Amino acid sequence: MILRLIFNKKNYLKYIGHLDLMRLFHRSFGRADIPIKYSEGFNPHPKFSIANPLSLGIESDEEYMDLDLEEKIPVEEFMEKMNKVLPKDVQIIKGVYLEKEDSIASLIAWAYYEISFDIRENNSKEELENIFNQWLLKEEIIITRLRKKGKKKIEKEENIRSFIGNLLVKQVKEKEITIDVLLRSGGNGNLRPNDFIEAMNRDTNLNIDLDSIMMKRLSQYAEKDDNIYKPL
Amino acid sequence: MIDKKILDGILKKVEKPARYIGMEQNSVIKDLNNIKVKFAFSFPDVYEVGMSHLGLHILYNLINEEEDFVCERVFAPWIDMEEEMRKEKLPLYTLENKEEVKNFDFLGFTLQYEMSYTNILNILDLSNIPLLSKDRSDEDPFVIAGGPCAYNPEPIAEFVDFFVIGEGEEVTLEILNLYKRHKEGIWDREKFLKEVSQIEGIYVPRYYDVVYNEDNTIKEMLALDPEVPTIIKKRMIKDLDSMFSPEKMIVPFVETVHDRVSMEIFRGCTHGCRFCQAGMIYRPVREKSTDKIVELAERLIESTGYENVSLSSLSSCDYSELHLLITKLMERFEDKKVGVSLPSLRLDSSSIDVLKEIEKVRKSGLTFAPEAGSQRLRDVINKGITEDDLDNTVSYVFKEGWSTIKLYFMIGLPTETDEDVMGIRELAYKVKDMFFAMPKEERKGNLKVTASASCFVPKPFTPFQWMGQETIDEFYRKIYLVKNSIKDNKVTFNYHDPELSYLEAIIARGDRRVSKLILRAWEKGCKFDGWSEHFKYDSWLESMEELDIDGFFYAQRNRSLDEVLPWDFIRPGVSKDYLIREYKKSLEEQTTSDCREQCRGCGIVDCTMLGGGNK
Ligand code: SF4
Repeated sequence: MILRLIFNKKNYLKYIGHLDLMRLFHRSFGRADIPIKYSEGFNPHPKFSIANPLSLGIESDEEYMDLDLEEKIPVEEFMEKMNKVLPKDVQIIKGVYLEKEDSIASLIAWAYYEISFDIRENNSKEELENIFNQWLLKEEIIITRLRKKGKKKIEKEENIRSFIGNLLVKQVKEKEITIDVLLRSGGNGNLRPNDFIEAMNRDTNLNIDLDSIMMKRLSQYAEKDDNIYKPL
Repeated sequence: MIDKKILDGILKKVEKPARYIGMEQNSVIKDLNNIKVKFAFSFPDVYEVGMSHLGLHILYNLINEEEDFVCERVFAPWIDMEEEMRKEKLPLYTLENKEEVKNFDFLGFTLQYEMSYTNILNILDLSNIPLLSKDRSDEDPFVIAGGPCAYNPEPIAEFVDFFVIGEGEEVTLEILNLYKRHKEGIWDREKFLKEVSQIEGIYVPRYYDVVYNEDNTIKEMLALDPEVPTIIKKRMIKDLDSMFSPEKMIVPFVETVHDRVSMEIFRGCTHGCRFCQAGMIYRPVREKSTDKIVELAERLIESTGYENVSLSSLSSCDYSELHLLITKLMERFEDKKVGVSLPSLRLDSSSIDVLKEIEKVRKSGLTFAPEAGSQRLRDVINKGITEDDLDNTVSYVFKEGWSTIKLYFMIGLPTETDEDVMGIRELAYKVKDMFFAMPKEERKGNLKVTASASCFVPKPFTPFQWMGQETIDEFYRKIYLVKNSIKDNKVTFNYHDPELSYLEAIIARGDRRVSKLILRAWEKGCKFDGWSEHFKYDSWLESMEELDIDGFFYAQRNRSLDEVLPWDFIRPGVSKDYLIREYKKSLEEQTTSDCREQCRGCGIVDCTMLGGGNK
C-alpha cells in the first residue's frame, strides 16, 4: 500500500541532513503508531524513501516521500497523527494512495527554487532580466564538478545550459534580489542550486554576496513527453 | 536574543549545523519574559557527547517542570563553529531560545572528566563572562558546577562561584528557590552567596583560603568566615522511587553515542574496586523498584519513539531483581520491537543469565573489563573476577554466536610488574584460543578480539588516592611490551596516550594552584583536550614550565597517609579510615568482598543497605 506524501522543511530544520531526516520520520512513524512495512531479511528496515535529498541549509515547501504501509489508513487520520508528533517545521501537507506508479525517486526530473541574494550595485528589474537573458542565450555554460570514479576523484567539465529551465526575476529591493528558477534534478541530470548560482555569479558582473544567499525549494516536477507535471 | 541573521550565515558554513539549532523533540521552549530564574546547563564538550549524558536529561526536565524556572542547553561549539562565531562576534547562546548565555542567572557545568576543563574556560570566554570568579559582577550569571569531578573542586575553584557536591536532584531546586526569594527581595549578591553556602552540599571557594607548607603540600584550609561550614557533605537522595525521574528525553536530530532510552535502575556500587571513584562516591546502593522502572521506561519509549532501552547504572547485572525486571520489560515491549540492553557486563555467571534473556533482541559485540591481566593484580585492585569467570562467560557467548569481544585493561596499576602487564596478552590470546578450540562447525562469525589499555590515573576518594602515577616512559615501555608481543591478526591491541593520562592525573589530584595551569593552557589555545587530535601536550608542558608547576608533585609523587589532601574537606560518605584500610589491604594483595554479603563498615552514615530500603 503505497502512500505518496508532500511535506515541508522550514526554518532551522533546513539544517537537518538527509539521514537525520530519515531517522526523524522513522521515529515519528513509531510514535504515531503508523503500521509501516519493513523489508525482509536479517536487518529489517522500514520501507519509505524521500526523493531527491535537499542540501543542508535549503528550505522546502514541497518534498516528496513514498511510504509502504501494512494496511490502508485514511489519509486525514494519517496526517493528523503524524503532524502531531513531527516538529512544527516539518509537516505533512498532502497524501494520496497510489494505484500503480513509478517510485518517486525515479519520477522527479525538475526542481523549482526560490533564491534570494544581495548584489553589489542597484539594478532595476529590467536590467537584471536583460543580464539573465543574455547569459542564458549562451549555448554552453560549463562548470567543473568533482566526480568520484572508484576511489579517485576526478574533475569533470559539464555543460549545464540544458539543465536550466525558466528563470524569473521575482522581486528587486535595491540590492536584494529574489529569483525563481527551474533546475534539472534527479537521475537524468542534476544541477544543484549552489552550482547554478556560482556559475551565474562567475559569468555575470553581479558580484553576489555569497554569504547572503537564501534558498528554498518551491516545488518538484516529473517529466513526460516534454511536459512537466507534479507527481501528486 | 542573538542576531539570527548572523547565525543563519554561520550555520551555512559549519559542519553538522544541526548541533547548534535546538528544536529537538521534547526540548522545552518557554517565554523567557515570564521566567523568574534562568538556568543554562552546560556539558563542556561537543553536542553529541553532552546529549548522551543521562544527568543532563534529568536536570533539564527537573528544572523545566517548575513554572518559574527555565533550563536551556549550551555545549562547546566545535572548532569550525567557534571560529565563525568569533569572526562574526556572535556570543555563545542557548539552543532553546537562542538567548545569550550571559543573560542567564546561572551557568551550570557538569564535570564528567578533567580534560574538559579548558572547554569550560572557552565557553565562559565565548559567552563574554569573566573567567575568574572574583571578576564577576551582578551583570554575570553565577557559574556553578557539579558532577563526579566536583569531589575535588580545587583545580577549578578560581573559575567557579560555587560547587554542588553530590546528587543534584534536590539541591538544584533549593538553590533556584533561594535565588528566586532573594531576587524578589532586595538583591545583594554577597548575601545570596553567604546563604547558599549554608545549604548542605554547597561549596563556595571564595570563603576559604589554603595555607601551604614549605614542601608545597597543604598545611591547612581556613574558613574565612565563621558562618561557613568547614566540612562539606555530599548530597544524596535516599529514595530513588520518590525522587524526580524524567518521563521525557530530548531526542537529538543528529546521531549521538547513545541513540536510546537511558533508564537509570540504581545508584551506587557494592564491589569496591579500588581504582574506581564512582564506586566510592556514589555509595550506598539504592535501587529503583522494578515497577517504577517499567512504568518510567514505558513513558520514555512513548515520548521518544526510541526502539531500545538501556538499563544504566555502574554495574547493571547487580540489580537485585534483574531477572524479573528484564522479563517484565520484555513482556511489556514484545510487540513494539523495543529492545533491552545493558551497557556494561561483568565477567561472571550472573551475566550469562542476563545474556540469555536479552540475546533474543540483539547480538552485537560484547565488552568485558577484567582491568588487569593477572589474578594477583586483580586482587590488588579488588576486581573480583577470576580466570574461571572469564572462561565460563566467554565460552558461553561464543557458543551463542557472539564473535566480537572487547577487553578493557589498565596499565600502570599500583604494584604492577611486567608479568602482570603481559597478562593482558595472555588473556586476549586465551580468548582467541577458546574460539578456535571449538569444533569448526560450532564457530559462528569472524573472531575479533580487541584489548584496550588505558593508563591508570589515581583519583581522589579512592584507596589509591595516595599513590604516585607511573611515569610516561614506564607507560610506554609497558605498552610496547604488550604491543610487540601480539602478533595475531585476530587480536588487536589499543592503548590510550600516556601524556593525556599524565595531565589528567595532575588535574584530578590538583589543588587551587592548578587553576593557573588550566588558565594558561587555555590561553595557549588548549581545548577539546580529550580529543586526541586536539590535545596539545607541548602547550601544557610549556604552561607548567612558565608557571613553575611541578607535574611530578601532582601526578607521580606518593603521598603519605597523614598528608592534608586538597579534597579532604569534602565528605563523600565513605570514610578516610575505610580508604586507608583498603589501601593497606591492596598492598597485601588481599581482597574485600562485595558489601552486600557483609557490611564492610565503609563509613556511610545511616546506610540504606543496612535495614533501610534495599535488602
Ligand atoms: S555502610 Fe556497609 S553496606 Fe553500606 S555501603 Fe558501606 S560497606 Fe556497604
